[in-house]
Amino acid sequence: MKIYTGTGDRGKTSLFSGQRISKSNERIEAYGDMDELNSIIGALIACFGPQRSEPVGELQQIQSDLFAISAILATTPDSPAMDNIAGIGQQHIQFLEESIDRMEEALPELKGFILPGGHPTAAWAHVARTVCRRTERRIVCFLDASYKMQAPDLYQRVLIYINRLSDYLFVIARYCNHLYDAPEKLWQK
Amino acid sequence: METKAENYASELIERQWLSNKSFEITLSKPTSFEYMPGQCIRLVHDAIERDYSLVTTPTDPNLALCIRNIEGGILTSGLSNAPLGTRLNFNGPHGYFTFRPSARPAVFVATGTGSAPFVSMARSGVTGFTLLHGVSSRADMYYASVFQSTAENYIPCLSETGKSSHEFFQGRVTDYLDKNLTARRYDFYLCGRREMIRDVTFLVDERFAGSFIFTEVFY
Repeated sequence: MKIYTGTGDRGKTSLFSGQRISKSNERIEAYGDMDELNSIIGALIACFGPQRSEPVGELQQIQSDLFAISAILATTPDSPAMDNIAGIGQQHIQFLEESIDRMEEALPELKGFILPGGHPTAAWAHVARTVCRRTERRIVCFLDASYKMQAPDLYQRVLIYINRLSDYLFVIARYCNHLYDAPEKLWQK
Repeated sequence: METKAENYASELIERQWLSNKSFEITLSKPTSFEYMPGQCIRLVHDAIERDYSLVTTPTDPNLALCIRNIEGGILTSGLSNAPLGTRLNFNGPHGYFTFRPSARPAVFVATGTGSAPFVSMARSGVTGFTLLHGVSSRADMYYASVFQSTAENYIPCLSETGKSSHEFFQGRVTDYLDKNLTARRYDFYLCGRREMIRDVTFLVDERFAGSFIFTEVFY
């Protein structure tokens, strides 16, 4: 199948639910940032050596979850198209929380602000964390503009997932330095 | 309904030429295979994969595909000659090009064999739609009887020279949309050549703003 149709050549795009909207719309900004976040997690995965399969499998699961979230953001909640999309539930959030707890058990206590960096995997995890935070802000902008304070539940769960994912990415950055014996640099005032 | 794509084995049961350019093949339907009208399957034959929309309904005992015979096309020429009984593997179902009822009138736009998903929808009970079918000649109107009994307006758009008649519109589907379809909000379902999909999408943005568009690119 050809990848291009040219239907977006004049600055509009189609939602999965069928509406044509401007590419400057807050919704498009939100799932555009989601795409960037997913790609950066791909870069993070690419930095792991072949002997480190445990974080890779987990990160690939997160990439799949982000695809599902992008589809949710590309669909209006009242559309029948939503029936084709796997939602984000408590189990996805729990998956992140359990992984955070598991990694933290292996890590030394946090004693200050950490300078982003260290092993390349940790450095990419920090980039992913900051893009994740920006994505979260974009989703909030979109929800504020579209639904005020009454965003549908499925969007609320997306917000919780993305908020927790930022925490996960912070912890996995520390965990990566731990895995590869790279020292953590603390902020010196 | 969300359906997960799986691999299946099937058998070529029948082949029927619809015109000198297109033919329909009937395949045995694996017991566990389920799909929705408008979805496609990925045929795998001699290590080549191609997606084809089903023209049958989910309750039919077999599966059928409408195939345009492409000169030099490796898979299509194989399928046009394969002996009945040939084993064919496929993966599916694929795609989200399914009918979503709404308060807006549905306008289906197809070129050539892009009418296939609409055949499946119409045979499955979807009625009252407008169908614009871009074809090069009257010989390509092989599903006319399906649409005549289900569509509110069935308008074949012929590119061959001649004059419009009560049977068809002389010109491209975009010409018809531009000049003949009342400006309002619709649900447009577009399937076929990507140039058609692009041109109709731009026309919808200009003339039918606020409409919804669902697309399936065929070739």
